[in-house]
Amino acid sequence: MSGAQHVVSKLMRESLMDRQVIAGTESPVRSILPKLNVIQIGGQSIMDRGKAAVMPVLDEILANQAEHTQVIGVGPGVRARHMLAVGLDVGLPTGALATLAAKSAAQNAYMVSCLLASHGFVYLEAPFIVQLLPAMLAAARGAVFNGVPPYDLWEHPPALGKIPPHGSDAGSYLVGEVFGARSVVLLKDVDGVYTSDPKTDPGAVFISEIKAAELIAMRLRTLPIEPVVLELLTRAKLAKSVRIVNGLVPGNLTRALAGEPVGTLIHS
Amino acid sequence: MPNAVENSILTELGKRLVGGSLSDESLMRATENTPNRALVPWANMVKIGGQSIMDRGRAGLMPVVDEIVANLPRHKMILGTGAGTRARHIYSLAIDLGLPVGVLTVLGTAVAWQNAQMLQYLLASHGIAFLEPEGFASVPHYLMERGAVICQGMPPYKLWEENPDIGRIPPQRTDTGCFLIAEVFGARKMIFVKDEDGLYSADPKKDPKAEFIPRISVQELLKMDLNDLVVERAVLEIMLNARHIKEIQFVNGLKPGQLTAALDGEPVGTIIYIEGVSRGAAQ
Repeated sequence: MSGAQHVVSKLMRESLMDRQVIAGTESPVRSILPKLNVIQIGGQSIMDRGKAAVMPVLDEILANQAEHTQVIGVGPGVRARHMLAVGLDVGLPTGALATLAAKSAAQNAYMVSCLLASHGFVYLEAPFIVQLLPAMLAAARGAVFNGVPPYDLWEHPPALGKIPPHGSDAGSYLVGEVFGARSVVLLKDVDGVYTSDPKTDPGAVFISEIKAAELIAMRLRTLPIEPVVLELLTRAKLAKSVRIVNGLVPGNLTRALAGEPVGTLIHS
Repeated sequence: MPNAVENSILTELGKRLVGGSLSDESLMRATENTPNRALVPWANMVKIGGQSIMDRGRAGLMPVVDEIVANLPRHKMILGTGAGTRARHIYSLAIDLGLPVGVLTVLGTAVAWQNAQMLQYLLASHGIAFLEPEGFASVPHYLMERGAVICQGMPPYKLWEENPDIGRIPPQRTDTGCFLIAEVFGARKMIFVKDEDGLYSADPKKDPKAEFIPRISVQELLKMDLNDLVVERAVLEIMLNARHIKEIQFVNGLKPGQLTAALDGEPVGTIIYIEGVSRGAAQ
């Protein structure tokens, strides 16, 4: 293109919308923090239950501290649901709802960081995850972050309805993907993925391991994971699996960190 | 439901939201028919291209700046900037070093930020401010007071950017960031200022047989499955789900008067529109 002052590079003068140009950039990605384990504590499933559910999970995290580097993502839970209910009622757009809901997860993450503070865990907001996570993990014993990604006003309007599609499952997974983490473990209040709701259907079959694309194709009515994570997994470069385990069962997190087949493993 | 809030004052939908699963399709469907409130319906989102305008320096940029100034009394504008050639350089370098997409987004954001700062210096004497994403609650105030406000065009996804279908370049860049600003504010217009008259059937910089397309629907455009596009593919995909922005316009910033014409509602350049019915309930 004449007139523009270019910096010489392989992509100079190319259209970044051109499929061939884009395909030409395909090449291996390096893992930035290969020893990292991303643990997500569910909002509604764990946090909203209070001490009875939260403290055993935190104790188990601490018991694994010597062996495993852990960063803890935390979900928003019922306050975000309430926020969504009021926000939808007054007609707020998805981006505004995402901004508001993220604050509920920030509250939960801050509480978790307080409970782990004496063991050297720190709470990091998104800009500090960008700049300080490696330094914090070298100096501190672990970090806690807001599971909801910082999409805020820039959250996508979903294909169906108006609920922000990227919640704390997506945010925690994406932290695992960008740092090339060793594992991503989502702590929920169910054992994993079933073919239907085991509470209402006695014929429900447990799925211990499945490909993300297969799970998408099954079109299950509800899932214990945000559907967008399944799509993200199909495009994974480094974090090629997510394990969903029941955080209400002591020992599950430890087993997941040890790589044992507990809960449901969804892979790309 | 443990610790559920006292929900007797919630709407029926609210009660389902507080107790139900957000992966439940029937619950998602129930949120479909909620009202869409346009937050700042008199704002116009204008994206100034990086490689196409900013990188040209005085010759390309100053006429656009002059045209923005001339429109300040008549149109409220959120001005977002593209990244351009320095982003191409750092993407090339970072890909070579094996860095992931999220890191490329952080790096590309810095380039769009530089361009936004530069634009702000050029408009500073008109009292135009620059706002970071964290300061976006002040956008309506600055628009009302000064008629325009500047932001960098990248969405603030940082390390949380998603991988593309193919390759390693962040799929959601400044076109997408600016479009999403327009959508969330329910803006009056989404105008992209680039260095072409609009959309062509191929890249006019490379193919002399490329045909100009003045108006086309997103659905048609996606069906044509062009190898190259005037806009990030992510914008077209998100447009299919948009609640507010029903069309986007592309004008040539190197031709004086095109931005003004677009702001005035004239069909200059290319308009890409969404075909189909509106979503959501009346207010």
